[in-house]
Amino acid sequence: MMAAEKPELSRGELLKKLRAEHAQTVERTQELLKDQKRIQRDICSFIRETPKSVPEIAKEIGLPANQVLWYIASFRKYGIVVEDGMCEDYPLYRKAEEN
Amino acid sequence: MNNVKVDALVIGGGIAGMQAALDLGDQGYQVALVEKEPSIGGKMITLSKVFPTLDCCSCITTPKMSAVAHHPNIQMFTYCEVESVDQQENGFDVSVLQKPRYVNADTCTGCRLCEYACPITVPSSFDRGLGSYRTARVPFSTAVPQIAVLDIENCILCGKCEKVCPVGAIDFTQQPETFSIDTTSIVLATGFELTDLDAKNEYGAGELPNVIDPLMMERFLAPTGPYGRVLRPGDGMEPMTIAYVQCAGSRDETLGIEYCSRTCCMYAIKQSMLISGALPLAEVTIYYMDIRTFGKGYEQFYQNAKAMGVEFVRGKVAKITEDENHNPVVRVERTEEGDVVERTFDLVVLSLGMVAGDPLSKFGLTPAEDGYIKIPSVNASPCETRRPGIFVTGTAGGPMDIVDSIVTASAAASAASAYIRSKTQVGIEEREVAHV
Repeated sequence: MMAAEKPELSRGELLKKLRAEHAQTVERTQELLKDQKRIQRDICSFIRETPKSVPEIAKEIGLPANQVLWYIASFRKYGIVVEDGMCEDYPLYRKAEEN
Repeated sequence: MNNVKVDALVIGGGIAGMQAALDLGDQGYQVALVEKEPSIGGKMITLSKVFPTLDCCSCITTPKMSAVAHHPNIQMFTYCEVESVDQQENGFDVSVLQKPRYVNADTCTGCRLCEYACPITVPSSFDRGLGSYRTARVPFSTAVPQIAVLDIENCILCGKCEKVCPVGAIDFTQQPETFSIDTTSIVLATGFELTDLDAKNEYGAGELPNVIDPLMMERFLAPTGPYGRVLRPGDGMEPMTIAYVQCAGSRDETLGIEYCSRTCCMYAIKQSMLISGALPLAEVTIYYMDIRTFGKGYEQFYQNAKAMGVEFVRGKVAKITEDENHNPVVRVERTEEGDVVERTFDLVVLSLGMVAGDPLSKFGLTPAEDGYIKIPSVNASPCETRRPGIFVTGTAGGPMDIVDSIVTASAAASAASAYIRSKTQVGIEEREVAHV
């Protein structure tokens, strides 16, 4: 519908060309991805065995609690963590079982 | 893309736009509906429940979304923006920009495999930034159409989405494309925006993590919300004390918004009742200047909230700060007690007001003093703009609730229908047949 004329390029060549065109966006987003992977690794490592609350995770990994909650909400949505009980007024989260 | 010829163009796919399109389509007119987002549904699809019946919003909205998508007389154009509206002899020539989805809309099945494969997570506008989605995603679970969209501004072009797509729908070569819609009449249903959360320095200027806007609370109360329950966004705690600050973005000369937004009292009361259901031990306090419950069943709704234990305190909140644990501290002058007090809460909701949505200049219309579309004869013809053939509905015309949005949608459709008939005679034969 949108592409008026498809270039005669292989998939690899096409992606290379697009990366060049969107170089700044790709560079910025690659940095974002690195950060996200590191934070996911840190959080999941901390809650692999024992469920923890958002403030506990924030204290452990040195990230503001509101940012940790954003990541936890994301991980929960995509099945990476699950809610597992409460501690006072805080839900606890642990790493989901891997299929 | 081929140009389109229709009897009516509806701009905006929220509840008012959908209702206007359905009413016109049901009368036999050919209708195009243009929506700037990747899905129709508007703000209503993000809400939890409606007042005063507490019916589920999705249960009302999704059937209408589906009806629009499957209506034989309605063509739906999502992820499109109107660029200009030119007057023609018997209607309008409307230029529309189709934004690239980087996904072939004809082949995508909405299976979401691209979303699960995509490694980048970004804040979800559907969840007011408090939840997330992936760079490649179906916008939300009940989106219509169920077609993925790829956010190229947050993409590393890794190609994982392309590899997993079972129908080869990912298309990185797409470009923005302009097409035109030739229409006899236009119904504007461009909706509203909330006043900015950071507009008032005295309310924390948007810097306090546990001071939120009412649409955020709607997402917390919705079953599909970002946390799956009501938590405060600062640290994930279940809030036990919650305050609503009324008129936080309306009736406020300092913001240049002197009008009443008409919905804030009712949505605050509704949310307080829903919070009582979600968090039975929570205490909810509503700080108000006046409670305006003017609609059918609204006053009883207010009385029910009081009977349920929601505390109503008359007074103007002067300032919101926070303590060392990010608990909001509300300083308020209580007018009935005649004193000034400070009280600490777990969470504060600012009952922000409504302002006009899309800029009006591209429609050749000028705003009234309140920023909304100027309606020359608001009592006699409340859906007519100063341009014959262009009608307005819902919150594009001024603050109103869902009930009134649907009423004005049908009114605008009726006015548009009469206008189309006057220009084209379409529909007269069918009407005569019906009377025989």
